[in-house]
Amino acid sequence: MTWTCEQTEARLSDYLDGLLNSEEWSAFNLHVNTCAVCTPLVASVAHTLGGLYSLEQVEPPPHLETGILRATVGYRKFDFWAWLRSLQSPRFIYGAVSVAATFALLLTATGFNWRKPKLADLAPATIYHKADGKVHVFYGRSVKFVSDLRVVIEIQSRLNEGDQNPAMREETIPQSSPKKEPGRTDNTNPSTPKQQNRANDISRRLEVLACEFPILRGSLVDRRFP
Amino acid sequence: MEQDAQLVQQCLQGDGSAWEELVRRHTRRIFNICYRFTGNRTEAEDLTQDVFLRVYRTVASYRSAHGGFATWMTSVTRNLLIDHYRRTKRDRVTDSLDDAMPVVENKESVARRPDEQALLGELSGQVQTALTRLSPELREAVILRDLQQLEYLEIQRVLEVPEGTVKSRINRGRIELARILQQMGVRPA
Repeated sequence: MTWTCEQTEARLSDYLDGLLNSEEWSAFNLHVNTCAVCTPLVASVAHTLGGLYSLEQVEPPPHLETGILRATVGYRKFDFWAWLRSLQSPRFIYGAVSVAATFALLLTATGFNWRKPKLADLAPATIYHKADGKVHVFYGRSVKFVSDLRVVIEIQSRLNEGDQNPAMREETIPQSSPKKEPGRTDNTNPSTPKQQNRANDISRRLEVLACEFPILRGSLVDRRFP
Repeated sequence: MEQDAQLVQQCLQGDGSAWEELVRRHTRRIFNICYRFTGNRTEAEDLTQDVFLRVYRTVASYRSAHGGFATWMTSVTRNLLIDHYRRTKRDRVTDSLDDAMPVVENKESVARRPDEQALLGELSGQVQTALTRLSPELREAVILRDLQQLEYLEIQRVLEVPEGTVKSRINRGRIELARILQQMGVRPA
């Protein structure tokens, strides 16, 4: 059976689709293997067919179905089960857990009793009053803490100043002497009872501070007993 | 096939959920035919919507004796695609003239969207480009046979031409496609 180039071109799809009988198939192969024109033609069409088969299905956009239904029937029927299935996404679950945790945290902060929950505790007025009370208590404690901290820092800074300036220390800290009599600040004039009380008061405070801050004991003792 | 015919019957009786099911079953296939024919996602979306609109209006004229519902829908799609091709032919001629003008224009600016680029692999993208350069008669035959995997008889019903013409168009379409790909520099390994 003879085979020509025109036959090759006309029956190429039949060959590629396997529709040639055995005699035609043999003649086709014999011709193509010896023809310099038909060999590249068959190879390129076979390659093209491979490319066509490799084309994957393209996913339509998600809104297309909705758009078609809206354009045809004008609405989309609410499907409860489809809606329920859509809630099973990890993103929704994560969001729901976050919202629940935030809600629980806020309720706890307002003083909600989880062991004995009452419906009245969830009333907005109750939540407001409890939150207001909590905020005031927190504010009061904060103010007290800052005030205490300020006193301690002030005392500490004064002590440091005294350490750096001995002259000042001599002036500010009353000196005691075994030769002095109580109530006298120097050897000439007796001190007034008021001055003596102040000196005693400062001495007591230094002793208290020495007890509270052992690290300062040495310097405080030096001041007390120079 | 049987299920489609049942759904059409229910649809004709006013069952809205049957129409929804038909839309759900055929949207992807129709969108793919339109996308492969036009090579453009936006146009494919619009054409898919037009196809369903026409099917919705003319579903009463469908007769199962003349073939499956899918074949009938494909026929409607093909008619709309040819209409669209003829309607936009003038625009394409204008575009071609614009392209021929010696104006330096960045081709990237009219390139496909990034998601379209991602969709197209190297060879797949070249084949899609070559498909859009085929004549509409050969293009539709190749798409129905090699992409939609339709039988010759179904293609014959869709195109309303004799079987010999269908085979001839498919054969010529494949050879022409191979020549276009060669011109684009795509050669078999």
